[in-house]
Amino acid sequence: MQDALLRFARNRLALLGAVVLLLVLTMAAAAPVLYPAGAFALAGPPLQPPGGRFLLGTDTLGRDVAAGIVYGARTSLMIGVVATLAAVVLGVLIGAVAGYYRGKPDLALMRITELFQTIPSFILAILLVAILSPSADSEIAAITLVSWPGIARLARGEFASLGGREFVLACVGLGAGDGRIVFRHLLPNCASPLIAVGSLLVANVILFESGLSFLGLGDPNLMSWGLMISAGREVLRSAWWICTFPGLAIVATVLAINLIGDGLNEALNPRLRDR
Amino acid sequence: MFRRFNAPLRALFAAAAVAVLATAARAQEPQRGGTMVMIVQPEPATLASYMSVAGNVCPVACQVYEGLVSYDWDLKPVPKLATSWEVSPDGLTVTFHLRDGVTFHNGAKFTSADVQYSFMEVLKKVHPRAPVVLGDLSAIDTPDPMTAVFHFNHPAPYLMMALSGYDAPIVSKSAFENTDPAANPTANKPIGTGPFKFGAWERGQYVRLDRNPNYWQAGLPYLDHIVARFIPDASTRSAALETGEVQYAAYSSVNYSDVKRLQANPALDTTSKGYEMTSGLSEIEMNEHRPPFDKREVRQAIAYAIDRKFIIDNVQYGFGKPATGPLSSNFKPSGLYTDEVLRFDVPDRIAIANKLLDEAGLPRKADGMRFAATLEVNSFGQQWMRQAEYLKQALAAVGIDLTLRSEDTGAWLRRVYTNYDYDMSEPFFNNLADPVIGVQRQYVTSQIRKGVDFVNNTFYSNKEVDDLFAAGAQEVDPVKRADIYHRIQKILVTDSPVIWLSEVQYVTVFNRKLHDATTGPLGTYSAFERAWIEH
Repeated sequence: MQDALLRFARNRLALLGAVVLLLVLTMAAAAPVLYPAGAFALAGPPLQPPGGRFLLGTDTLGRDVAAGIVYGARTSLMIGVVATLAAVVLGVLIGAVAGYYRGKPDLALMRITELFQTIPSFILAILLVAILSPSADSEIAAITLVSWPGIARLARGEFASLGGREFVLACVGLGAGDGRIVFRHLLPNCASPLIAVGSLLVANVILFESGLSFLGLGDPNLMSWGLMISAGREVLRSAWWICTFPGLAIVATVLAINLIGDGLNEALNPRLRDR
Repeated sequence: MFRRFNAPLRALFAAAAVAVLATAARAQEPQRGGTMVMIVQPEPATLASYMSVAGNVCPVACQVYEGLVSYDWDLKPVPKLATSWEVSPDGLTVTFHLRDGVTFHNGAKFTSADVQYSFMEVLKKVHPRAPVVLGDLSAIDTPDPMTAVFHFNHPAPYLMMALSGYDAPIVSKSAFENTDPAANPTANKPIGTGPFKFGAWERGQYVRLDRNPNYWQAGLPYLDHIVARFIPDASTRSAALETGEVQYAAYSSVNYSDVKRLQANPALDTTSKGYEMTSGLSEIEMNEHRPPFDKREVRQAIAYAIDRKFIIDNVQYGFGKPATGPLSSNFKPSGLYTDEVLRFDVPDRIAIANKLLDEAGLPRKADGMRFAATLEVNSFGQQWMRQAEYLKQALAAVGIDLTLRSEDTGAWLRRVYTNYDYDMSEPFFNNLADPVIGVQRQYVTSQIRKGVDFVNNTFYSNKEVDDLFAAGAQEVDPVKRADIYHRIQKILVTDSPVIWLSEVQYVTVFNRKLHDATTGPLGTYSAFERAWIEH
């Protein structure tokens, strides 16, 4: 593991990603201290350009864009992490059952997975949120439901390829139960690709969340970058800063997470070690 | 100056001046021909304006259908298909003398039989507002082809305000006889008496209307065609106006935020006239079956807590004015409007709101909040989300913790008007041409109708208000009628069953080459027979 960390640290781009993400994390954590009034507070006159009293300007209602960015980071990261974890857990469970038992459970579960994969995921997410009525919970549920199939397929492949190995047969021979074999022996052995893919998924989820908010399907009580862009889009030609800064925030965060994901992939994947 | 020049030069100047003036005068002389392209947003589902009052139907259908009357800028009826009319002293009969020599687009001659059929067999049966507006119309006699006599169970003075081609289109009996009006084939290819005939409807693209060469007003209309285009994307609509591809866009089909920019374009002009008979009010409804909204103090406190001017300036981009009560100030000319009601726009309004909430037994808790409520966000566009975000902030200042819920239109309307599963909602109501038509539906006890959208869902029920509305509907004397509605406004504002936020001002953006498109208070809901294009 230390090896992997070292390899990760040697990757400059990944390190840059980590620094940016750390900044975003700090920002999100410090939000209530930086802007105690909250992201929706009417802080000053509307449409103030950046610079002056407001670092990033104010929007059409006179809300501080900087406060929106900071609170938007909280929303994006919270939903990004929760939905990714949920998708990974769901995906691994389904993939593990399918890959370990093969046969009929595999056939059934993989057809279900394929069904989900054939439906355009963003459209399905929109539909789910619209049905469940927009809130943070429904966003997480919708994003989870459209994100697990990739993880499930990966997990199934890993479990299937490890399933026939000698150490597994040895476990079976020693009388270990299925649960013990799956969680103690198989899962740690396929953790590296799952971590790499999972970290990339966070970036995807953040994009999903921004997209949903942009379309007005986000939680109206939580400030989100997508919501800021959609609200500022109307005045893009006269007040560029309202859309631009949350847009940059999304780009920076998603790029950082992607760089970290690539770094993790390289660090954890033995085949890429010597590149 | 002229003294310096010699006589011949002076004469030349004079001639030039005359020429310039003559050109200017000629530019104002209507020119025949040309096509006007207008935006209709969104695409209508039907063109059957006799059974749908959806806002996007009439801009097309009202070019084809006409009413008995139209209205001048003072909202007074002026002749259209009826040339004159007399109201009997008891208000129970109205005699219309009809225009001779009018033909429908299918060639049939327009007679009193068409009027009778339109009102009794079509409008009374399928028009959404018929239960209120035509409820007291009992029969129409046709003593001769050019006379129609309306009989009422009770006096119905408001009906004179609902006879335009928008409110009560006259259809051809020959096209409707022996058919079910709700399934008539003319729903999507209307046949009327209007200045334009239905041409073609390319779904998802446009409706084309063609000049009616046999129109009863000789020489009109000026335009050869009207094309109603459907452009779903707001920025594309603005761009279409900027490029001159489209000449006319009404009912704020251009985003308010873009209007300011388009106003700076020398080729374009804007007007907020032509909406005097629409009179939109944005409001907050509160469910009186959900405490603490059953308390008048709480409702008043909310009314005090909101800065209407802020909403108008920052959410509506300045297009609108603060509302004072259930009637729009557009009813000022008719004398029905009054602003001598309880006013919430006082300087110490926040202090009053806090005091009222204290008195209502809702003290601030440790977190500074008094109670929590959910606001259902109007689903008709971004503007309503911004307003909801402002309301959340404004009410937090007096200790009301608002949670916003935004659902799609179907879910929102079902929640608010069918399931009554709401605390507060932010709808939008049109007062229309008369309080009977557009106002009373929201406040009288009989309009608590589960499952009917945009009626009384606050459960407000006040015998005195019910009686006053009933009296106002039948009062023929304008002074007494005005007095009744003044009393209604005073009582309603004090009771605040809903909170009136702003009178929304629609904007029409049009190309300066297009003239005389807005010629009356119905604006886009009347025919463009006088509109003409410089070319």
